Amino acid sequence: MATGSDLSIPFVLTRLLHGLAAALAFLAGAPVAAEPAQRVLSLGGAVTEIVHALGQGERLIARDTTSSYPSAVEVLPDVGYFRALSPEGVLSVDPDLILATEGSGPPETMAVLRAADIPLVMIPEGHDMSAIRAKITVIADALGVPDAGAELAAQVDAALVRAIAAGRSDTPPRVLFILSMQGGRIMAAGSGTAAEGIITLAGGVNAMEGFEGYTQVSDEAILMADPDVILMMERSGDHAADDAQIAAHPVLGRTRAAGAGAIVRQPGLLLLGFGPRTPEAVEALNDAFRKARS
Amino acid sequence: MLSAADIHVDLAGAPVLRGVSLTARPGGMTVIVGPNGSGKTTLLRALTQDLPCRGAIRLDGDDIAYMPGWRLATRRAVLPQASRIAFPFTVLEIVRLGLMAAGSPPPPGRASDALARVGLAGFEGRFYQELSGGEQQRTQLARVLCQVWEPVGPDGARWLFLDEPVSSLDIGHQIEVMDRMADYAARGGGVIAVMHDLNLTAMYADQVILLAAGRCLAAGPPAEVLTDDLLSRAYGCALRVNTAPPAPATFLLPHMARRVG
Amino acid sequence: MAVADLAGARLRPVAGDRDRRARRVMLALIAVLGAVSVLSLGTGASGTSLWAALGKLARGEEIGLREEVILFDIRLPRLAMGAMVGAALAVSGAVMQGLFRNPLADPGLVGVGAGAGLGAICAIVLGAALPFALGDTLGQYLVPVAAFFGGWATTILLYRLSTSRGRTSVAVMLLGGIALGALAGALSGILIYMADDAQLRDLTFWGLGSLAGATWDKVLVAGPLIALALAATPFLARALNALALGEGPAAHLGIAVQRMKNISILTVAAATGAAVAVSGGIGFVGIVVPHLLRLITGPDHRYLLVNSALLGAALLIAADMIARTVIAPAELPIGIVTATLGGPFFLWILLRNRSLLDL
Repeated sequence: MATGSDLSIPFVLTRLLHGLAAALAFLAGAPVAAEPAQRVLSLGGAVTEIVHALGQGERLIARDTTSSYPSAVEVLPDVGYFRALSPEGVLSVDPDLILATEGSGPPETMAVLRAADIPLVMIPEGHDMSAIRAKITVIADALGVPDAGAELAAQVDAALVRAIAAGRSDTPPRVLFILSMQGGRIMAAGSGTAAEGIITLAGGVNAMEGFEGYTQVSDEAILMADPDVILMMERSGDHAADDAQIAAHPVLGRTRAAGAGAIVRQPGLLLLGFGPRTPEAVEALNDAFRKARS
Repeated sequence: MLSAADIHVDLAGAPVLRGVSLTARPGGMTVIVGPNGSGKTTLLRALTQDLPCRGAIRLDGDDIAYMPGWRLATRRAVLPQASRIAFPFTVLEIVRLGLMAAGSPPPPGRASDALARVGLAGFEGRFYQELSGGEQQRTQLARVLCQVWEPVGPDGARWLFLDEPVSSLDIGHQIEVMDRMADYAARGGGVIAVMHDLNLTAMYADQVILLAAGRCLAAGPPAEVLTDDLLSRAYGCALRVNTAPPAPATFLLPHMARRVG
Repeated sequence: MAVADLAGARLRPVAGDRDRRARRVMLALIAVLGAVSVLSLGTGASGTSLWAALGKLARGEEIGLREEVILFDIRLPRLAMGAMVGAALAVSGAVMQGLFRNPLADPGLVGVGAGAGLGAICAIVLGAALPFALGDTLGQYLVPVAAFFGGWATTILLYRLSTSRGRTSVAVMLLGGIALGALAGALSGILIYMADDAQLRDLTFWGLGSLAGATWDKVLVAGPLIALALAATPFLARALNALALGEGPAAHLGIAVQRMKNISILTVAAATGAAVAVSGGIGFVGIVVPHLLRLITGPDHRYLLVNSALLGAALLIAADMIARTVIAPAELPIGIVTATLGGPFFLWILLRNRSLLDL
C-alpha cells in the first residue's frame, strides 16, 4: 500500500521545514548535524542516555517507557513499552529517525514503520565493555556526530577500565541478583543476563549458575550458593521493610550477605542499562563489595 | 396406526421394559397407566425415540427408526413431562417453536389460537419462567398443538404423545385439557398419553395399557382393564372400582365436573 | 442510538412478539457499526485526518506516504480486524450459550481459549528452538498459527472425548473442557517457568490481547476463516431456538441435533481460534454482547446471532479506539479496555435484571 511518491506535498514541506530549522540553527551558531534528522525517537533507556551524553538531547522528541534518565526526558511523550509499540503511536510523534534497541517490536509495528519510510536504526544490545562502545558508535553515526561518538566512547572506555581495575580482588565476592521476591518467591539472575554482566564488570561472581535468564530459584539453590552480597534494583517504597523481609526469609536470612547486612540497591537503568553511566554503576558496586568484605 | 412390537429397554444395565407390545389407532386415545417404576414413561420415551430400545416401532407400517426427523416432526408432537427452558423466552416465542416444525406455513394468529385452546388467552407476552407449573405445562401443550394442528394431514393421521399432560393442573384445567385431547382424537388424530390419574383415564381413554414391572399386564377398553383384580395386582394393594366409600367420607370424582362457560 | 437502547433495556415485553424490535435493533446496530467504523478510521494518535485525505484523493491529488501508511496500513486493517474479531467472539459466545443452554457459557469453556493460549505460549517460549529454522520462516505468524492450532486441537480432542456412539454429551464436554483447560494451564505454567524475562513480557501482552499487530496479511488469513464460520451460523438459529427446550424436544421438532452440535462446535472452534490467534485474549465480548442483546430483544437466535455479530464488531472497534488514543502515543492492550468497561457495565445489568436471570 505504501507506494506514495517521495515528492508528495507534506513530505516536501517537512523537508523544507527541517532545512529551515537547520539553517536557523547554523545562524545561531549551534552545531549542525550532517544528517537532517532533527526529530529523533529513542527506544530503550540506554539509547536515550547515550543521545544525551552525546549532547544531542534537544533532538529527542519522544521516548519509550524504559527511558527515564536524565530526568529531562521525562517530559517527552512516551510511546509505550519498547517491545509492544503501536505503529500509529510512533508515527504520531512524527519522528524522522528512530533509534531502536535490539528487541523493539512487535515485528508488525516495525514492518509498518519501515513501510512508512522512516529511517530506523537498530542499536545492538550486549552486556560487556565492547557492547557499550558499539552502542555509542552506532548512535553517534546515526545522529551524524561520529567525532562526539568517538570521544564519548573513549571517555566511557577509560572510566570503565579504571573502575574495573579498582574493583579487582583476589577474593571476588559471590553476588546474588534478585529481580523480585514477591511472596517469598525469589526471581534471580542466571547466566547471560545484564545483571551477571555488571556483576562481572564490578569484579564479582554471579552466585547463581546453571541456568539462563531470570528464573524463580529454589530455597536450596540459594542456600548452596551462599552469596556474600545481595544485589537488587532500587524502587520506590520502604527499603527497611525489604531488609526486614530478607532477614526474616528462612533461607535468605541465613546467607552470609544477610548476616553482614551486605544488601546493595542501585537504580535498575543505571545497573542494567549498559550505557554511559555503567562506569558509575561499577564504581558503586565496587564500594559496596569492598564494604561487604571488610 | 402406531404399533410397537416387543420393546425392550435397559437403563443402567437393569431391564426396565421386558418385551412390551402395543397397537394404537388414530381416532382414539390410548392411555398408559401403572404404578411408579412400572415403565410408563420409559415406554413413552421409547416410542418417541428419546431412549434407545430393542424392538420395532412402526407408524402406518413405516419403521420410524428410518424416518428423517423433519418428516416425523410433521407427523407427531411430543409433550415432555417437565420442561426447564434455557433463556427468557416469552410464551408466544415458545409456542411459535411448534409452528416452526409444522411444515406448511401456518395462518397468522395460530399461536394465539393454540394458547386460547389451553386456556391461556392473553398470555403471549408473559415470560415462560414466570409462569406457574400448570401454566408452563399448558404453554408446552399449546406448542405441541401448533406442531400438529390438524389431526389429519396429507400423510395420514397425526399423533400427540403426552407424558402426564395434566399432572400439574387443577381439576378444572384437567378437564379442559382432556376434553381438548379427546376432541383431537375424535377428529381423526392419534393420542397416546401416560397418566397417573385413574379416574381421568377411565373417563377419556379408548384403550388402556396397564403396565407392571416392565411388562404389559393388560390392554383394552377401560372397563376391561380397570378391574379390581388387575389393578390390585398391578399396584400391590387391594383396590375396588366403582364403589363409594362409606359415609360420611367426602369424595370427588372428575366424572361429575361440568365446565362452565 | 443503540447505546441508549442498551442502557434503557426494559424487560417487560408488551406483546411477546419481539421480532419487530429485534429488526429495529438490527438496523440501529448497522448504523452504529457504520458510524463507529468511520469514526475509528478518522481517529488515532496522529492527527491524520480521514476527511482531508479523502478530499485530496477526490481532487486527484497525491496524499503523503505517512498519511497513506496511517490510513491504509494501520487504521484500515485494524478496523477490519477489530470488526472480524469482535463479530467472531460475540457470535461464538452466543452459539456456545445456545448449545450449552447456559447464558454463562463461553468459547473458553470448550478449551479454545486455553488451547490457543498454550499454542501461543509454546510459540513464544519455544519458537527459537524449532528445527529447520521453522521459527524464522514463519516469523511473525508463528504465534497466531500456533494459537489457532492449539485452540483447534483442544476443541477437537474434547469433542472426541465427549462423543460416543454418535452422541455428544454436553455435560461431559463442559466438565472435560474445564479439565483440559486446567491441563493446558498447567503445561502453560511449565513453559512460563522456562521463559526468560523478555518472553514473559511478550506473554503478558499477548494474554491481554491487542489489535496493534493488525496487518493486511493477518486480515486475509483470519478473515476467510471467520467469514466462513459466521456464514454458517444463521443456519443454526432455528436449531438453537429449539434446543432451548432441551435436546429431546428439539429432536421432536425435527432438528437433527447431533449434526447441529457438530456444526456448532466446528464453527466456534474456527471463529474463536482465528480471532484469538490474531488478537490474543480479548475477554468479555463473548459473554456481554449476547447477554445484552438477550435483555433487549430476547433470546431468539434468528436475530441474536446477527445482532451479536454487529454489536460485537462495533464494540471492539470502539474499545480499540479508546485503547489506542487514551494514553497516546502509547496504547493500552484492548483486553484491559473491554474488561474495565465491560465488567462494571455487566454487573450493573445483572443487578438491575436479577429476577429474570434466575432461570
